[in-house]
Amino acid sequence: MGKYNEFLYDDIGNEYARKNLYLLELAKLQSKLKTAKAEEKLEINDAIKKLIKNKKNNPYNLELSSYKSKEKNFLTTLNAKVKVFVSNLDKSIDGKLKKMEKDLFISTEKASFYKKYVPLTHDAALAYERNCIMRDQLPEIIQKYKTTKDELTNAKAHLKQIDVQNEKKVKLEIKEFASKQKAIFNEGKLKLKEKRHSKLISDKALKNGIIELQKKRSEAINLKSYESDKKSTKELIENKKYVLNKGIRRELNVLKSNISDLRRKTPIELSKTKPYFSAITVLFPGIGQLLNKQALKAIVFAFATLFIYVIAIPYALGFGNYQGSGISGLISLAEGGKKVDKSLIFMIEGIVAIFLLMFSAALLMLSYFDVKKVEKDAMKGIRPRNWFESYSKIGQEGFPYLVSLPALIVTVFIVIVPITTAIMLSFTGMDPKHQSKFTWVGIENYKLIATGSGLAGSVFWSILGWTLVWTVCATSLAIFVGFMLAIIANNDRIKGKTFFRVVYLLPWAVPAFITIMFFSIMFSQNGSITTLLDNFFNIQLTAKTDPFYSRIVLILLQTWLGSSYVFLLSTGVLQAIPGDLYEAAQIDGATEWQKLKRITIPIVLFQTAPLLVGQYTFNFNNFSIIYLFNGGGPFNPSKYGNLAGSTDLLISYIYKLTMENQYQSIGAAITIVISLGLMLFAFIGFKNSKAFKEERL
Amino acid sequence: MKKSDKKKSDKKNKLYLSDKQPLSTVGKLMLFLSYIVLFAWALIILLPLADMVVSAFNGRQEQYIMLNDNFQFSLKHFDYLFNETLYLSWVKNTLFIAIMTAVITLIIVSFTGFAYSRYRFKGRKASLMAIMLIQTIPTFAGITAYFTMHSVISSIAPFFTRQMMLILIYAGGGIASNTFILKGYIDSISTELDDAARIDGCSSMQVYRLIIMPIAKPMLAIIALWSFIGPFMDYLLPRVLLTNPESYTLAAGLFTLINDFRTMNQPAFAAGGLLTAIPIVALFIVLQKQLVSGLSQGSVKG
Repeated sequence: MGKYNEFLYDDIGNEYARKNLYLLELAKLQSKLKTAKAEEKLEINDAIKKLIKNKKNNPYNLELSSYKSKEKNFLTTLNAKVKVFVSNLDKSIDGKLKKMEKDLFISTEKASFYKKYVPLTHDAALAYERNCIMRDQLPEIIQKYKTTKDELTNAKAHLKQIDVQNEKKVKLEIKEFASKQKAIFNEGKLKLKEKRHSKLISDKALKNGIIELQKKRSEAINLKSYESDKKSTKELIENKKYVLNKGIRRELNVLKSNISDLRRKTPIELSKTKPYFSAITVLFPGIGQLLNKQALKAIVFAFATLFIYVIAIPYALGFGNYQGSGISGLISLAEGGKKVDKSLIFMIEGIVAIFLLMFSAALLMLSYFDVKKVEKDAMKGIRPRNWFESYSKIGQEGFPYLVSLPALIVTVFIVIVPITTAIMLSFTGMDPKHQSKFTWVGIENYKLIATGSGLAGSVFWSILGWTLVWTVCATSLAIFVGFMLAIIANNDRIKGKTFFRVVYLLPWAVPAFITIMFFSIMFSQNGSITTLLDNFFNIQLTAKTDPFYSRIVLILLQTWLGSSYVFLLSTGVLQAIPGDLYEAAQIDGATEWQKLKRITIPIVLFQTAPLLVGQYTFNFNNFSIIYLFNGGGPFNPSKYGNLAGSTDLLISYIYKLTMENQYQSIGAAITIVISLGLMLFAFIGFKNSKAFKEERL
Repeated sequence: MKKSDKKKSDKKNKLYLSDKQPLSTVGKLMLFLSYIVLFAWALIILLPLADMVVSAFNGRQEQYIMLNDNFQFSLKHFDYLFNETLYLSWVKNTLFIAIMTAVITLIIVSFTGFAYSRYRFKGRKASLMAIMLIQTIPTFAGITAYFTMHSVISSIAPFFTRQMMLILIYAGGGIASNTFILKGYIDSISTELDDAARIDGCSSMQVYRLIIMPIAKPMLAIIALWSFIGPFMDYLLPRVLLTNPESYTLAAGLFTLINDFRTMNQPAFAAGGLLTAIPIVALFIVLQKQLVSGLSQGSVKG
């Protein structure tokens, strides 16, 4: 036996008295039971039992059931009446009006029926007041609809009878008017120009004045053009059509929201005390909503059911797969399958199946909690929302979820599924010999990397070393150069700043692949830079064949490319530093060097720090400069094996492993290792960022 | 009369009118050094680029670009580029991919940026954090999967070309950072505007469409521009995903002019690079302030 509360509550906690006397008595006894002494308890328990036993003969319940049967009768007779009413309606009126007239008729009838039962139940009270609202407000809307419709037909008829002669005359008049306006405009313009000439007003005032005159002129002409009967009638028709369409809808929405206000203020009374609908229907979203009498919501959730049982679960079981066998394919990886079966496809389809199941689980939870909340609220007294209310609620609270949905789907399938694939791949043995079929090998690949053994793993540590050296040197040098240039160029006495800024922007603006490729040409054996160095300084630069020079050139090249961006950033920050800081420092007797060290550098560093950190991660993964410049070469098989060159970074090494030599699994393992490292790096930076700390996220 | 006039002007010339301190000898030297440094770096930047421009127009350059004293103005490399290579279809592909990427990014990001800025919903902070971290994983990680995914999807939907896959990858990869940037910008728009609109009866969708989007236009333009430029700059993904030279983007296509012996033609590469760079450089020069501020906003907020 569940507990009943003596009072009913609505959304915002207003209290209402129960109208169901039977439940009220029960609730009173129950609350008495709580505070009663031991000896009284038995007595009260007896009373409760008796009350429940006599439930059917309880006077209130008798009354209620008689009301219900009467209501049923009334509704059947009403149905018949409505049919008669509709058939008596004028045949020529359109559907919208017909529906409104019908609603009006029904509400009048209902209001008079339910009036008697208002004190009996909250439901009847709601029905009465609801129909009252409709009865009172609909006639006005119908009237408006009718008159607007009449006006529209009149206007249309008028449009057909417009006097052509008169129209021509008016047109001429308008033309004349326009030319007059033009004259006025020209005159005004001339006056303004004269004023400008005698320096009474500024250039800007002249411009604004002319714009103002132009506006005046076009407005006047526009106004005049409505004197044409044709144009004004057309405008009228437009207007009336708008009212018929949007205006009436708005009025109906006002009516609906009045009703929903009423629904919020009229509680519901249920004899149910446990939210069992949600538990029963948890597997089938939509049915619970139906039991809660939220039909349209049920339809929406039915789509979720459809998705779960028609798409997600069959797919996970292997039906409708492209080649794989759902989740089980993730375990078997097509082992023992047909020759055309590919382990990779089995894996990806398994992962997709997992994500579909996760979506399904989320939908089930959503539905379960929705049904449960509505049920619980209803037991408290809060009426379940009707579609109009749910719709506007979804529009407000569900909005962020709805609009983020495309982003979520794209992110899951384009970012997360591939990354999951890479993670799983790193635990398999996909290599040149096992391209179409491979098996799980556990952490074998990670072992190879950690111990630096195997064909692919042996060079991992030396490549990591160069990658780190490269990242630190190339980025720091670029930052240093960019920053120095920004400080030098920011000097007040330097002329031609625009020139320098435009020039310094170029390395950033010209697509990097173009400059890198062109530098690659220039540094080649017969390239212009090599030749120049040879001719003028007698240096034989072998940038493409000597590992050491190659690395130096790459670092310098990245400095050339990266300093531009740092320069622009620092310039932006430098210009924003308030000048009084420097003045104050000067008054205190600071030297230029002190000003630089104590004011400029801290401010610039502080403001651009996150971006500079970003530069480091960017260079860590800077594939294009390495690959495009020399393909990772020069190659030195005795030191780097056949897979990597001496300037290869981890990222280009991974590229060579996965794309050129088909060691996908170990490539994936290295990717995961460096991703974890980068993530940690980013996480620390992120945690310390201002935005995160200030909870502005 | 004349004499006194001259005297006056002499006096005027001697007056020191600048609000800066007069330069000492050391200062003058420093200024001179500054100019030298600035001009030197400008030269370092300009010379290679100038070499590219000159090579593109130099009729004397053959297949390989060499240091060449002879210059003869000619458009033959451009001629080669347009008639002997697939340059025009590369441009077309790149434009298609770039525009689609920009459009999809804009649609998705404008919504998420608005939602993340204006609503406090469950899972907001966690999802932002998660996406930010996932983004640090190089796009690279997914390459093996992209390949297979494409063959799976295209077997179901044959119209799904590799270029579309590329577009989705570009758009999907940019969601998180662009959401951050836009969110930061929308945060700076007063919420009183929304409230006023809501009181007047606007729905969330109308607030988004009629209030926020028009105000956020400058930032949207920057995001669109960045997404648009991305495909022009990227070499890796097109190279991996696109297998047919007909469907290459500019970066992948131009690379065939310098790394493939059958199609090698370095001056034509210079010409193609020049044609590609000019519009982008023009864009950057005109919009440099906005581009830089867009960048820094995204980062500081993140």
